[in-house]
Amino acid sequence: MIESIVTVRNRAGLHTRPAAMVVKVASQFSSDIYLVRDGFNINAKSIIGVMTLAAEQGCELGLIVEGSDEAEAHAAVVDLFATGFGEQL
Amino acid sequence: MITPDEVEHEIERFHSAHQATTEELRQAIGSATSESATVASILESYLMIASDPVITQSIVQRIRRGASAEAAVVDEFDVHKTFLYSAKDQLLRERVQDFEHVVERILAALRNRTLSHELRLDSVVVAGSITPHEMLFFKRMATLGVVTEIGGVTSHACILARDFELPAVIGIRNATERIGDGDEIIVDGYTGIVVVRPDDATLQSYQARAAERSVERTSRLALVDAAAATSDGELLVLRANIDSAADMKVARAVGCDGAGLVRTETMLVAFGRYPTPDEQYSWYKTIVDQAEGSVVTFRAFDVGSDKYREGIPHHEENPALGLRGIRFLLYRPDIFEQQVEAVLRAAVHGQVRFMLPMISSVEELEAARRIINRTITSLTERGVEIVPHLPIGVMIETPAAALLAQTFSERVDFLSIGTNDLAQYTLATDRTNELVADIFDAMHPAVVQLIAMAVRAAQTAGIPVSVCGELAGHAAATELLIGLGIRELSVAPSLALELKHRIRLADSRACARAVTDVLTCTSTTDVYSILQSLQSGNHGSTTS
Repeated sequence: MIESIVTVRNRAGLHTRPAAMVVKVASQFSSDIYLVRDGFNINAKSIIGVMTLAAEQGCELGLIVEGSDEAEAHAAVVDLFATGFGEQL
Repeated sequence: MITPDEVEHEIERFHSAHQATTEELRQAIGSATSESATVASILESYLMIASDPVITQSIVQRIRRGASAEAAVVDEFDVHKTFLYSAKDQLLRERVQDFEHVVERILAALRNRTLSHELRLDSVVVAGSITPHEMLFFKRMATLGVVTEIGGVTSHACILARDFELPAVIGIRNATERIGDGDEIIVDGYTGIVVVRPDDATLQSYQARAAERSVERTSRLALVDAAAATSDGELLVLRANIDSAADMKVARAVGCDGAGLVRTETMLVAFGRYPTPDEQYSWYKTIVDQAEGSVVTFRAFDVGSDKYREGIPHHEENPALGLRGIRFLLYRPDIFEQQVEAVLRAAVHGQVRFMLPMISSVEELEAARRIINRTITSLTERGVEIVPHLPIGVMIETPAAALLAQTFSERVDFLSIGTNDLAQYTLATDRTNELVADIFDAMHPAVVQLIAMAVRAAQTAGIPVSVCGELAGHAAATELLIGLGIRELSVAPSLALELKHRIRLADSRACARAVTDVLTCTSTTDVYSILQSLQSGNHGSTTS
C-alpha cells in the first residue's frame, strides 16, 4: 500500500473535466485507489465520488493506492495532480 | 417499498433503463460531435456520471434492501447532490445540474420501459408524474385519460392534455396507491374529480353527460365561421396559443384570427440548441405562411424557470424568480439579436408582432429596444429585406409590470396579459406545486385588480390588450374578461370554439355591471359566486 498527499493546483479545482481525467487514469489500473478528504474516503474510479470531494484549488487530498500495480498507479495519479490536469494553474 | 420477490425484476428494470440511458447518451455524443464540441463534452460528462460503477452498485444494493428502481436512483443521487450543494466552489455546486440531468434520463428510461410493456390501448394512465414526451406517447396509444400525483393545473402535462383534448386530473395525492391496476375509474376533467370503482348509477349519469358533451362539441363546429361577438354585438378577436405551424393550421381550421402567442421555446426543444437565424427564419416563416395574412404574435424566447434551460449559467435555487424571459435575453444579447433578426425577416411575409416576456421594469424594455434597433440598423446596412415597423408588446405577467402598465402602455404597441405567471407571482404560489395548488387561482381578487389596471392603462393609451393565459380558456372567466374590457383573447386551438360559444352567450353590458361588483370583492369565493349568477342568467335567457 502506498500513501501520500496530493494538492489540487489548477485554478478551477477538481470540477467535471479534471475529475473525469482522474477516473480515466485510475480505471487503467487494477489497484484500489482512494482519495481522502476530511476523513471521507472515496473511490477514485467513481466520477461522482471524485466530484463530490468538492476539491477547490489549493486543497490537499490523501492518496491511498493498494494492489498489484500500485507503484505505477500511484505515479500516474501523482503526475496528473502535479500538472494541474493540463489546465491553467 | 417492493416485496422480496420483486427485487430481481426491479434490478432487471434498472439495468435495462441504465443500459438504454448510456446507449442513448453514446448516440447523442456521436451526433453532437460534428455540431458542437461543447455539447459533446457535456454529454460525455453525463455518460461518465451515468456509467459510474460505484454508483451503479450502490443503486442495486438499495433495490436489494427493498427500494423501487426509481427510489433507489433518486435516493442515491440525492446523497451525492447534498455533498455538492455544500461545496464552497460555485462551479462545483453547479454540477448538481449534471446529476439531475442524468437522474431524469434514467427515470425517463425506467418509465418508458414499464410503459412499453404494460400500456394497453383504450386505458386510463395513473402515474406519479408525466413528462410532455410521455403525453405524446399516450396520445398515440389512444389513452382515454390521465391521473397524476404531481403537478398543478398549469403544469406542462396539464396544458398538453388540454391541447390533446385528453381528460386529465392532476395533483391527486397517492393516486397510484388508491387506484389499482384494472380498476374501473371515471376521470372528470371538467371538475377535477376521479371516481374509483363507481356504482351503476354514477356510471350511468356520467355516460349520459359524456354523450351530451359529444353532441355539444359537434354542434360547436357550426360556430367556425360565426363571429366572436357577444349577444349585444360587441366584437371580440379570438386568437390561438400555438407551438408550431401545424398548430397554426388547426387554429385557422377552427376559425381563429391568427396567433396571440407563439411559444418560440418549442423550437429550442426541437433543435436541442439555439438555432441559427436562418433556421429560425424558416421556422417562423412557415407559421406566418400558415396564418394566411392573420396576425402572428411571436413571444421572444421565454427561457428559464420550468422551461428550456440551455444557456442558464448555473443551478438556480429559485428559477421562477431567476434568470428567465427578458432577463435571460439581456444576459445573452447574442441569442436575442439572432431571434430578433429572424423575426424581422419573417415579418416581411405577413402581419407579425413581437412580445417580450417577464418584463418587470422600464429599463428592461428600453434595453431590449436598443438591441432591436441595433439589429434593424445592421440588417438595413447589410441590405437584408426586413419589415419597416415591427410592433413590440410587453407581457404583463409580473405584479411590477401590471402596476406600471400605464408607463408601459405609452412605450409599446400592445400589451398581453399572461395570467398564469401573473397569478403565480402575485399570490407567491408555485403553479406546479400540488401542495399549494388550491391557493393558485387567477380569479383571486388581487389578480383581478391587476388585470383591471393593465386593461385601463391600455385603453387610456389606445393600444390593444389581450389575455393569453390559461384564464382566457377558463369556463368561468369569459364574462369576467369581457366585463373588464378585454376584446382580444388567445387560447389553445382546442378551446377556441367552446370559448366562442361562451362569448356569443355573454352580454357585454351585464358583464361590465358584474365586474363593478367583482372589483369590490374581498375573496375568490365571492368572485366566483358573482360570475356564477351571471352565467346562470345567460343560460336562462338562451332557453327562454
